[in-house]
Amino acid sequence: MNLWRDIKGTFQPFWVTLRYLFKRPVTISYPEQKRTPPPRYRARMILTRDPEGEERCVACHLCSAACPVDCISMQAAEREDGRRQAAWFRINFARCIYCGLCAEACPTMAIQMSPEYELGNRDPLKLVWEKEDLLVDHGGKDPNYHFYRHSGIGVAAPRGGNDDELPPVNIKTNLP
Amino acid sequence: MPTLIIDNQSVTVPEGTNVLEAAQQLGIVVPHFCYHEALGAVGACRLCAMLFIDGPVKGMQMSCMVEAKDGMVVSTEAPEAVAYRGQVIEWLMLNHPHDCPVCDEGGECQLQDMTVASGHSVRRYTGKKRTYLNQDLGPFIHHEMNRCIQCYRCVRTYQDYCGGTDYGVLGSNQRLYFGRFQDGPLESPFAGNLIDLCPTGVLTNKPYRFTSRFWDLQEAPSVCPHCSLGCATIPGARFRELQRVRSGNNPEVNGCFICDRGRFGYDYVNHLDRPRTPLLHGEEIPWSEALETLLQRLKKLIECHGSDSIALLGSGRASLEANYLLQRLSEQLGSAAPVYGSHAGRDRAARVATTLPTELSASLADVRNSDLILLTGADPLAEGPMLALAIRQAVRKGARVMICDPRPVELPCSAEYLACQPQELLQLLSALFQGETLPIKLQPLAEALQQAQRPVLIGGGDLLGAEGNTALLAAAQKLNREERPCLAMVLLPEANSFGAALLAADGPDFEQLLADMASGRIKALLCLEADPLTDCPDRQHLLQGLEQLNFLVVLDHLPSLIAAKADLLLPTTALAEGAGTLINNEGRMLAFTPAFSPGEPLRITGQGNHPPRSFSTTTPGALPCQAWAVLAELCDLPVDLAKIQRDLATQEPRLAGLPDLLAEGSGQLIQSADKPLAQPQARRTDQVDALQLLVCETLYGSELLSAHSAPLDPVRPQPYLLLHELDADRLGIAADDLVRLSAGEIQLTLPAQLSDRMAAGIVIVPRLRRTELESFYPGQPSQPCRVEKVSAP
Repeated sequence: MNLWRDIKGTFQPFWVTLRYLFKRPVTISYPEQKRTPPPRYRARMILTRDPEGEERCVACHLCSAACPVDCISMQAAEREDGRRQAAWFRINFARCIYCGLCAEACPTMAIQMSPEYELGNRDPLKLVWEKEDLLVDHGGKDPNYHFYRHSGIGVAAPRGGNDDELPPVNIKTNLP
Repeated sequence: MPTLIIDNQSVTVPEGTNVLEAAQQLGIVVPHFCYHEALGAVGACRLCAMLFIDGPVKGMQMSCMVEAKDGMVVSTEAPEAVAYRGQVIEWLMLNHPHDCPVCDEGGECQLQDMTVASGHSVRRYTGKKRTYLNQDLGPFIHHEMNRCIQCYRCVRTYQDYCGGTDYGVLGSNQRLYFGRFQDGPLESPFAGNLIDLCPTGVLTNKPYRFTSRFWDLQEAPSVCPHCSLGCATIPGARFRELQRVRSGNNPEVNGCFICDRGRFGYDYVNHLDRPRTPLLHGEEIPWSEALETLLQRLKKLIECHGSDSIALLGSGRASLEANYLLQRLSEQLGSAAPVYGSHAGRDRAARVATTLPTELSASLADVRNSDLILLTGADPLAEGPMLALAIRQAVRKGARVMICDPRPVELPCSAEYLACQPQELLQLLSALFQGETLPIKLQPLAEALQQAQRPVLIGGGDLLGAEGNTALLAAAQKLNREERPCLAMVLLPEANSFGAALLAADGPDFEQLLADMASGRIKALLCLEADPLTDCPDRQHLLQGLEQLNFLVVLDHLPSLIAAKADLLLPTTALAEGAGTLINNEGRMLAFTPAFSPGEPLRITGQGNHPPRSFSTTTPGALPCQAWAVLAELCDLPVDLAKIQRDLATQEPRLAGLPDLLAEGSGQLIQSADKPLAQPQARRTDQVDALQLLVCETLYGSELLSAHSAPLDPVRPQPYLLLHELDADRLGIAADDLVRLSAGEIQLTLPAQLSDRMAAGIVIVPRLRRTELESFYPGQPSQPCRVEKVSAP
């Protein structure tokens, strides 16, 4: 019956509206009221630190390679003790799509997504974040991970000093 | 020509090809480490395993060790083969430090690729990893031994191919160590090839350390500008900075290798003082205004002083196209033909070299295949380092090398050295041409030439000069017979010296230009990437001539001396920033393409920190233009490289192949000249008694572009003077004594070095740019000099 369907289609929406008049609203009055996003919410990136308080980022370029919108750029540099670090590290949040591929690519757990989502701004340059702005003073989601304790090239521990390493071989011995 | 079947595809390969190469011909990617096309196969890494299903050998075999034979049926994808390769990779990764994020090889690492390809991702072995201590291998190479997979490629490259003796494998069983006996810089001038050849990150580029990732680099096939051999290179740039150069592959020229001068001489492109804006009397002006001023000033001078008052100076640094457009400009202005090269002697020597017929000219591939190499007045390590490596490959196949030279020529291989005075070289070459008997001390050479099947005569343009080059070419032609080809090669000073000399043809040389300048007839001079102030030996006359000029225009990309004096300075692009063609010393046209666009490196604009936080529609320092484009605009021609090349090919029939030239490939030989070779003049040489001063080039420090490169700073030699031990005895000089050298008006105090492997009666000083030895010029006849010991104060 076409007529019956049309009448139902006309009145049912009114009924839905009428029903919701007597329910609590789902919207909140942002920005006076703020919601707490879940801890794994994907918003602004942070650069975390290792358990010793050093920058975790080694400027390996994997995040910038993974980034589908090319919003990450950096320059690596060598610290005096041989540690590889970012001389500068820049994320352009005006371009970022918060896909999280950078955090997924990061081999040192340096780059992580934080739930902070309030980045709206009238000045595009304020959306270009440098290393100093991105660095936090904690280890983020995996505070105990330390890249240099697993990859043995003698930066955090002396050569051959990591848990899974033997001491350096003596190349001049003839013993079997 | 065996035909075999690999992965159900049939392929026919030349006799002697191994199965790995056959599979690569089919486009099948076979994992491998120890095999390399230049080094051959040793079957050490066990990674190229394939299953041989049918044919003379069966079962799992290392494909690099099996010669392709008829009837072979091979599978690379058999489950057994895949599993075998996966296990090998897992073993190779047992001790790997897993530090790819901080490894410079990451992204271009063969181990990384092979590991991913084999599917290995988790280290199942729970034992501890073996570690090593690293060594300091000098300013070019960073050593990280923990990453080593013991493929032996470095040792085979360094010891076998490059002839180095100070790097090798030490230790035994689980303690194999690739390094030197002690810390210290690698001695071979080809050590940089270890960077390209090491399949993992054990040996990485030190100046490039932590600079970029492979995937971020802008790369393009190019040609090395640091000598006349024209090796194929691949420059890599990022953030408007040329960051590294790696070897390209030109089988006719350099193969897969380049020398350290070519690899680390790139930094002139990023030089802080490089001209980047058009300057009129030191003040910045826009390009349009600069070109307009230039044309107006030239027109005015032509009106006042006639078209003879304009002189154009090209060079062997500028591309063939730019040098050609200089000719067009001179035609348009009605002035005399351009002069090419600010060193008349070198220019004349190069012009002789261009007359060599193509069938007689030796490529580096010919040198590698020859069985007798005669070096007359050529010092390969200084004047064309990759020639030394080519000679070594010939020696490895059993060739004899004879060196006739006043200098102590060193080669990375065994060679017979015959100390000759410079004038004796001429006598030797004309004797070879005349078929006369050689002097007693050169008898071994005569015998060797009798027996040789594929001899190559190599001469150095600087020491031989035009006259010597004429004799060398004539001698090669004389010795060349149908059943026994004899080829010749002449080393020239600059990358495009050949091309410039070809365009110069019978035109005026710099001496004539100097005379015209001194007489005040020349009012305006336009220098195209030429710096007479550092290249012209007659400095006094040059300075006088420059003073008489009304208008000096310089197109250059170097902070050269003449650029500092220019009334109008027009910045041009460096080789890696532009496109064009060079002709190497063999007469091979080689195309280069732009790797990146010019601009002030971000390292400078950001002062080491992040890029400036400001928006701009222009790039800082991006004003340099390609020289040919500037000249095309001046000539009112369309700025179209292909059209210029077509014009040039129709105008100069020897360059007929130019429009078809491709950047990837081995280049194209020019056509032979249609006139016969000049006959050498018989010349009487006088015996000289006084000490003769001979100025020569060195590996580092003499070549102009690499002299502006910071990575080469640590290896540039300090000024010294070289004497024969007999002369030193006579003068009472010991090694390392300070001596006073007086030659003409120049007096210098230098430390003395002694050698018994050089001609007596000769004093050798290297031409070291930006030191006090810059006032000596190579490519000149030796001049009398005095050497005396400086008494202690």
